[in-house]
Amino acid sequence: MSRTRHLVAELRERLGGAAPVPPPAPLPRIPEPPVRVFPKRAEGSRYARETAAHTTALLGIGHVGTRYATDVVLQFQAELAVAHEAVHTDLPDDWAAKNGLVGLRSRVKDHREFLLRPDLGRRLDDMSLARLKMEAKHGVDVQSILADGLSAVACMQSGLALLASFTAACQARGLSVGTPVVARYARVWLEDEIGAAVGAKVSAILLGERPGLGTGDGLSAYLVYDPKVGRTDGDRNMMSNIHARGTTPEVAGDRLAVLARAMVDQKRSGVDLDLSKLTAELGDAASRAHRAPQVRVRLVEVEK
Amino acid sequence: MILEPLPPRILSVRRIPNADPALLLAYGADPARHRSLGLVTVDQDDPTYVALDEATKHANVDVVFAKSFYAGASHGSGPLSGEILGVLAGSDPDEIDAGLKALVRCLEADACFYSADEAQKTAVFPHVISSLGHYLSALAGLAPGDSMAYLVAPPMEATIGIDMALKAADVRAAKIFPPPTETNFAAAWLTGSLESCEAAAVAFCEAVVRVAANPKGEIWGG
Repeated sequence: MSRTRHLVAELRERLGGAAPVPPPAPLPRIPEPPVRVFPKRAEGSRYARETAAHTTALLGIGHVGTRYATDVVLQFQAELAVAHEAVHTDLPDDWAAKNGLVGLRSRVKDHREFLLRPDLGRRLDDMSLARLKMEAKHGVDVQSILADGLSAVACMQSGLALLASFTAACQARGLSVGTPVVARYARVWLEDEIGAAVGAKVSAILLGERPGLGTGDGLSAYLVYDPKVGRTDGDRNMMSNIHARGTTPEVAGDRLAVLARAMVDQKRSGVDLDLSKLTAELGDAASRAHRAPQVRVRLVEVEK
Repeated sequence: MILEPLPPRILSVRRIPNADPALLLAYGADPARHRSLGLVTVDQDDPTYVALDEATKHANVDVVFAKSFYAGASHGSGPLSGEILGVLAGSDPDEIDAGLKALVRCLEADACFYSADEAQKTAVFPHVISSLGHYLSALAGLAPGDSMAYLVAPPMEATIGIDMALKAADVRAAKIFPPPTETNFAAAWLTGSLESCEAAAVAFCEAVVRVAANPKGEIWGG
């Protein structure tokens, strides 16, 4: 293109000639406040009030005119922020070493890629695989893996407590436990490759779960018998909502050890695993009775 | 839309391979050096001056004749008259052909007027020649290879614009053509470094657009 044409085209852009903006229409006159004050009304429906007592979902929150009350909106935004924060937190490079664990990482290079490429998060990178084969104990019953998953916050907060209680509970049930490892940028299926590499009977990954509203600190645990690459979700048993307001790490560690013991005994896992004889040991996890809902953490204070 | 290119129309291109010496003399050629002529009429004169100069950079030709017609293309004497007749002279038809090719290419892809208002009634020519050929350089009293801003607009717009261009960049006026020229426009040839010429052309063009949009200025505008 000729230089002069280029210069003129640039000038046209600068003058707004390519898309001339019409002058803004004058603003309508805004009436003097207050036009009408809407008092906050509590939810009138008895059904809604009753339902709200059984869930953390946003039910029976009342309304102000046609809108939500301010504290409801603020609470919602704050809970969403907690979830966002948890997803975007990175597990520090030296976290594993500081806590005396073997640090591994998946084939993911950075956090963005981790979110976009689940497939890369399911395989170990070559250096980690070599390190694992060299440093970890082989031929154990249970290989436990702590991982960041979708919430490094949860991993750093209660991950170590869950790992400790799970390890102790396994040993109490006569299972040998492998060298604990920490995996960075890990997806659930990474346990297949790690478990296979050390020849463990059961591979257990404890990782930060996808944050929900207000819960950025939840851990999940996935167990699989005879781990190898190619296992599907039907081969796994899992437990979610492991945090202070859900199942506490101490209780969860115990239940997971029950599952691990059952897998080793029955030589299978997932949908084939028979849990019918374990209801006593699994406690209310196996029961169908009413359970109190989780406590919602108030992030917004309301002036009464 | 403002600042859209208004592409020049080439109304006729002809060649005289072996011109009569009397004709050569009448059109300012030198029968000792020139034998062939290339003739072109276009409906925009200033882009054609630039294109004729461009031809002298690509072929061994001289621009022996180039004149604008009175009152511009809208008042031509015939459908092929346009606004200008340009004549290239050379030693043989091949040189003429090479020169005409460069000229046509320049008119099609480079030099043209632009609309300076939404109604497309105001035309502006803010052209930058990065390196002059020997035709315009001789007319402007500059050296071949110098940069030049070739600025044309209607009288009022051009006068304000030339002032803005001279103040906006480190350029000096090689020549200023106050109105009326043959086509009733006004023009200026400004020279300086290439960047200065570009800045001057942009400032000129912007001033023309602003005058066209607000002819009576801040004081009487409304």
